[in-house]
Amino acid sequence: MPNTKKIKPEIFLKAKKFGFSDKQLAEILNTTEDKIKKYREENNIFPVYKTVDTCAAEFEANTPYHYSTYEKYNEVTSSDKEKIIILGGGPNRIGQGIEFDYCCVRCVKALREEGYEVIMINCNPETVSTDYDITDKLYFEPLTVEDVMNIVRYEKNVKGIIVSFGGQTPLKLSKELEKNGLKILGTSSEDIDVAEDRKKFGKLLDKLKIPKPDYGTALDLKEAKKIANKIGYPVLVRPSYVLGGRAMQIVYNDEQLTEFFFEAAKLSGKHPVLIDKFLEEAREIDVDAIGDGKDVYIGGIMQHIEEAGIHSGDSTSILPPISLSNKNLKEIKDYTKKLARALNVKGLLNIQYAIKDNVVYVIEANPRASRTVPFVSKTTGVQLATIAAKVIAGKELKDFKLKKFDDIEYIGIKESVFPFQKFPKVKMFLGPEMRSTGEVMGIGSTFGEAMLKAQTSTGNPLPIEGKIFVSLNNNDKKPKSLKIVKQFAELGFGIIGTIGTAKYLNENGIEAEPVFKVLEGRPNVVDRIKNGDIKLVINTPLGKESRYDEYSIGWAAVQQKIPFITTLSAAESVVQGIQNLKSGKKDVKSLQEYYTK
Amino acid sequence: MPKRTDLKTILLIGSGPIVIGQACEFDYSGSQAVKALKEEGYRVVLINSNPATIMTDPEISDATYIEPITPEYIEEIIKKEKPEAILPTMGGQTALNAAMQLHEKGVLKKYNIELLGAKVDSIKKAESREEFNEAMVKIGLEVAKGMFVHNMDEARIAMEKIGFPIIVRPSFTLGGTGGGIAYNVEEYETIVNKGLTASPTSQVLVEESLIGWKEFELEVMRDKNDNFVVICSIENFDPMGVHTGDSITVAPAQTLTDKQYQRLRDAAKKVISEIGVETGGSNIQFAVNPENGRIIVIEMNPRVSRSSALASKATGFPIAKIAAKLAIGYTLDEIPNDITKTTPSCFEPVIDYVVLKIPRWDFDKFRSSNPDNDVLGVQMKSVGEVMSFGRNFKEAFQKAIRSLETGRAGLGADGKDKYSYEELTSLKKSERNLLKEKILTKLQTPRNDNIFYLRYALLLGASIDELYQSTKIDKWFLNQVKDIVDLEVEMRGMRI
Repeated sequence: MPNTKKIKPEIFLKAKKFGFSDKQLAEILNTTEDKIKKYREENNIFPVYKTVDTCAAEFEANTPYHYSTYEKYNEVTSSDKEKIIILGGGPNRIGQGIEFDYCCVRCVKALREEGYEVIMINCNPETVSTDYDITDKLYFEPLTVEDVMNIVRYEKNVKGIIVSFGGQTPLKLSKELEKNGLKILGTSSEDIDVAEDRKKFGKLLDKLKIPKPDYGTALDLKEAKKIANKIGYPVLVRPSYVLGGRAMQIVYNDEQLTEFFFEAAKLSGKHPVLIDKFLEEAREIDVDAIGDGKDVYIGGIMQHIEEAGIHSGDSTSILPPISLSNKNLKEIKDYTKKLARALNVKGLLNIQYAIKDNVVYVIEANPRASRTVPFVSKTTGVQLATIAAKVIAGKELKDFKLKKFDDIEYIGIKESVFPFQKFPKVKMFLGPEMRSTGEVMGIGSTFGEAMLKAQTSTGNPLPIEGKIFVSLNNNDKKPKSLKIVKQFAELGFGIIGTIGTAKYLNENGIEAEPVFKVLEGRPNVVDRIKNGDIKLVINTPLGKESRYDEYSIGWAAVQQKIPFITTLSAAESVVQGIQNLKSGKKDVKSLQEYYTK
Repeated sequence: MPKRTDLKTILLIGSGPIVIGQACEFDYSGSQAVKALKEEGYRVVLINSNPATIMTDPEISDATYIEPITPEYIEEIIKKEKPEAILPTMGGQTALNAAMQLHEKGVLKKYNIELLGAKVDSIKKAESREEFNEAMVKIGLEVAKGMFVHNMDEARIAMEKIGFPIIVRPSFTLGGTGGGIAYNVEEYETIVNKGLTASPTSQVLVEESLIGWKEFELEVMRDKNDNFVVICSIENFDPMGVHTGDSITVAPAQTLTDKQYQRLRDAAKKVISEIGVETGGSNIQFAVNPENGRIIVIEMNPRVSRSSALASKATGFPIAKIAAKLAIGYTLDEIPNDITKTTPSCFEPVIDYVVLKIPRWDFDKFRSSNPDNDVLGVQMKSVGEVMSFGRNFKEAFQKAIRSLETGRAGLGADGKDKYSYEELTSLKKSERNLLKEKILTKLQTPRNDNIFYLRYALLLGASIDELYQSTKIDKWFLNQVKDIVDLEVEMRGMRI
C-alpha cells in the first residue's frame, strides 16, 4: 500500500510491551506471522524472563519460577544439563480437566528421576504442575507456538519436548513446534497423524484385519447424504479435530443429517466432517496401554455401563470388565498390541472399542495420555504415566515389574459428575458430547459395593427405601426393563410410572401407581419429586423431540439431589448398589492395602 | 514454639469430584499440605473420592482412601486409622462441610478428635451469615443490609425493607448455587424459591445489591500468636454482581490509594482475629463504593480457597504449605520462606509485576432454551481459569486472553473478531452511532465475551464515561483497555 509508513522498532517494541502477539501484529500490520517473527529477529526484539521471588528482588532468590516480559534484564540462566520440556494442559474445561495435570505431574517426576532437568510450561494457576517445587523450572506462560519458542531460545541442551501428557492443547501445537526445529519426544507426529486421519487409520485397520464401523468423510451436505445412505443410518456425525465430542450427533435420517451437518462443518473448518456408522446398543470398551517400540503393556481394559453413543468421558467405567467373553477380551488385547506396534507407539495409547453381535470394532485410537489414565492407575496400582514417561526417555517395558490388570481381585468404578444444576432447562440426557466436569471413583470387593460408593460420591446418593419413578420409552418396554423394575419392587420400593409406563408394568404383573406427566394434570410427577415423594428417577429418553416433561423431571431431580438415571444398563447396576446399601456394610480400605494383597 | 508432639496421625479431607466452583486448586493445596505434614514427621491419612488427583497417588500419603466423603465413611476410616486430628481446611467447602457434619453427629467427640486450622466455632461464625454479620457489627465493620429468610412470607417482608435490586444467596452452598440477582417481584420469588431448595439449611440471605461497587479480596494468614500477614491483594476487574470465580481478577489491587488499602488491611486483620481462624489462611472479600469509599465486608472463607491457589501462584508464597505448618503449632516467624530461604514467612510478599486471572467458560455445552444461561451473576459458571504475568496490566491482560485457548490471540485484531476493524471504521456516522449504542446496551449485562465488545465500542468512538456507565468497570481498567486499542489504531496502516 503506497500510503503506509514503515513501523518504527520503538512502536513495535511498545506493542510487545502491551502484550500484542505476533499473530495480532501480523493482522494489524497486514503481513504474515513468519514475517513478524523475522522482523523481531532482525531487530532483536525478544522477551526476557523474570523470576517470581516473593520479595521484588530485595533478597536473593533461587526459585525456578519465571515469566516473560519485554524489558532489558534477563534474570534466567540455563544450565548445561540435558533438558526435557513438558507442555501442560492449559485451562481446565469440559473434556480436558485435572486428569491431564495429573499425567503431566507424574511425567515431570518420572523424568527427574531419570536425571533430566525438567521444564514445565503452563498457564493454569489451579494445578499441581504449576507448583514451583514440582519441576526444575517453571515458566508461567501461554501455550502458544510464539511463547514456547521464545522460551526454547533461552534454554540450552534441550533434548526435546513432550506434548502427549497435557491433552489436546499441547498436541495441537506439535506440528508447528516440529516445524520450528523442536524434537517431539514419544510417538512421532507422522504416526499420530495416522491415528487421527480417518483415511490413513482406516487403511491401517484394513491392513491389520481389525474390524471398524463403516465410515466416510464429507466436505458438503450432498456428499454427506450419499455416504450416510451408503453405510446406512444411524450414523454418527462429527467435526474433525475436536476433543470432548463437541457438536457430535447421532442421526437417524436425511432430515436430521441436514440439521446437524452445518454445525459440524462450521467447527471442522477446512477439514471434512466425519461420518461413522453408529453401532446401536453396542457395548463400549476403553483401553489404556503403553508401547515402547517393541513390547506393549495393557494397563487396563474398562467396560462402560452405558451403551455406545454416550461420550466415554460421561460414561461409567468398570475395571476390570465384568461381563466380557474370553474371546472378546483376547481379541481386544490382540488388537491393542497390533495397533500399538503398527503405530510405533512410544508412550501411552488409548483405544476405544465397541462390541456388537460378538464382533469387536475399533472406534478410535489416540497415542497420548487419556482421561482414564489416573483411574486405571489408582485401581491397579501400576503408575502408567510414570512408566510411559520413562519409556519416552529411553527405558524399555521389560525394565519394569508390571502386574497384570486382570489379576486384581476387586473392582474400581469411575462415575461422572455433571454441572446441570448451574444451567436450568439444559437437556440432561447423555449423548456423544461430553458435559461432565469431574469424576469420582468407587472401589470395593464386589461390583455392588463399588457402585454404591461411586454413586454416593457423586452427591446423589442411592435411596434405601421409598418410591421410584419410572418412565420408559417404547423401545425400552421390554423384558429387560421389567426385570429391573421388578428388582426394585423386590427391594421394597414403591413404583410410580407415567400413565403409559404404569399400564405396561401393571399388564406385566408389576404393581405401579400412575402419575400425571407435567402437562396432563396435577399433582404431576414434578410435584411429587419436589415434595420429596420420589427417591429415584429412571427416565429413558424419548428421542430427539425432547419434551417439556423431560427437562422438568430432570431439573426437579437435580434440585432434589436424587439419582436421575437415563439408561437401562445404569438402572441395572444401581440395583446392585442398593442391594449393597441394604446390607449395611461399610468397608473402607486404603489403596496401599489393596495393592499389597 | 515447636511443632506439636501430641499428634501422630492426621486425617486430611480432600474436595471430591471437580465441579463448577471447586476445581483442581484443592488438589494443589491438599498435595502441598500432605507434603508439609509428612516433612514434619506426622503420619498422614487421606480421604478423597476423586481418582484424577495427584494427592491420591499412593506414595503421597501413608494411607490413601478413595472413599465417599460422607460422615459415615469418614467414621469408618477414623475407627481404623485412629487419627488424633483432622485437617479440614484444605479440601474446600466439601471438607469443611464434612468436618461440621462429623462434629454435629458427635463423631469428633466420640473419638476425641481435634480439628486443626479452624475450630468448629470459627467455621460456624464464618459460614453462618447470621453469626458472621453479628461478628462484623461487633468489631465495627459494615455488612450489606440484609435479612435471612426461611420461607416466602419472610422473604416478602425482607423485600419491603431492602428494596430492589436484591441479591439472593443461599446458605452453605458452593459457588453460590441457587443464588441470583432480582430486579422485580417475579424474579425475586423465583430465585428465593430456588435458593431455599438449594440450601441444605433451607435458609437464604437476601440483601441490598452492591452491584457496581468495586470488589476486592485479601488473602491473609494468621498464626496462634495473632501474627498476621497479607499474602496478596486481589481486585476484581468486573464490579460487584459477578461471582469472583467468574470475574477477571488482578493482583495486586490496582485502583486503591495506599490509605484505602491500609483500611482494608486493618479490616481484614480485625475480621480474621474476631472469627478466630487460629492457624492458617483465609480469604476475605470486600466491596468498596466507588462514590464515597464506603467499605462493606462481603464474606470470609475460613479455609484455603480458589483465591489462595491464585495468590500462591501469583506471589510464589506457598499458602497451603504454610497453613499446614501453622496448623501443627508453628508460628509465621518460625517458618522460613522456601523461596528466599533467608526471610521468614512473616515477611509479606512484595510483587513488582501484574498478575491477571481470566475464567474459562464452556457455555457451548449447555445450550438451552434459557437465554440467560451465559449471563454472569452471583452463581459461578466457569469451568477453569488461566493466569498470566506482565510488567503492566496491558501485557498481562493480552497474555491471559491468548492463554485461554478460545482461539483468540489477544484483545481482538486476530482475524476472529465479530466486527472487523475495517467494517467498524468504514461505517457511516449514523450506522456507527447505532451500533455503538447497541454495543453499549449489550455491555450492561455481564457476559463472557464483553471484553471484546469493549474494544468494538472504543473503535466506534465510545468514551470512557460511556463505557463506565454501561459496565461500572473502574475507569482505570477501561483506560488500560483504551491504551491497547489506541496503539492498535496507531499501528493500523503501518507496515514492517
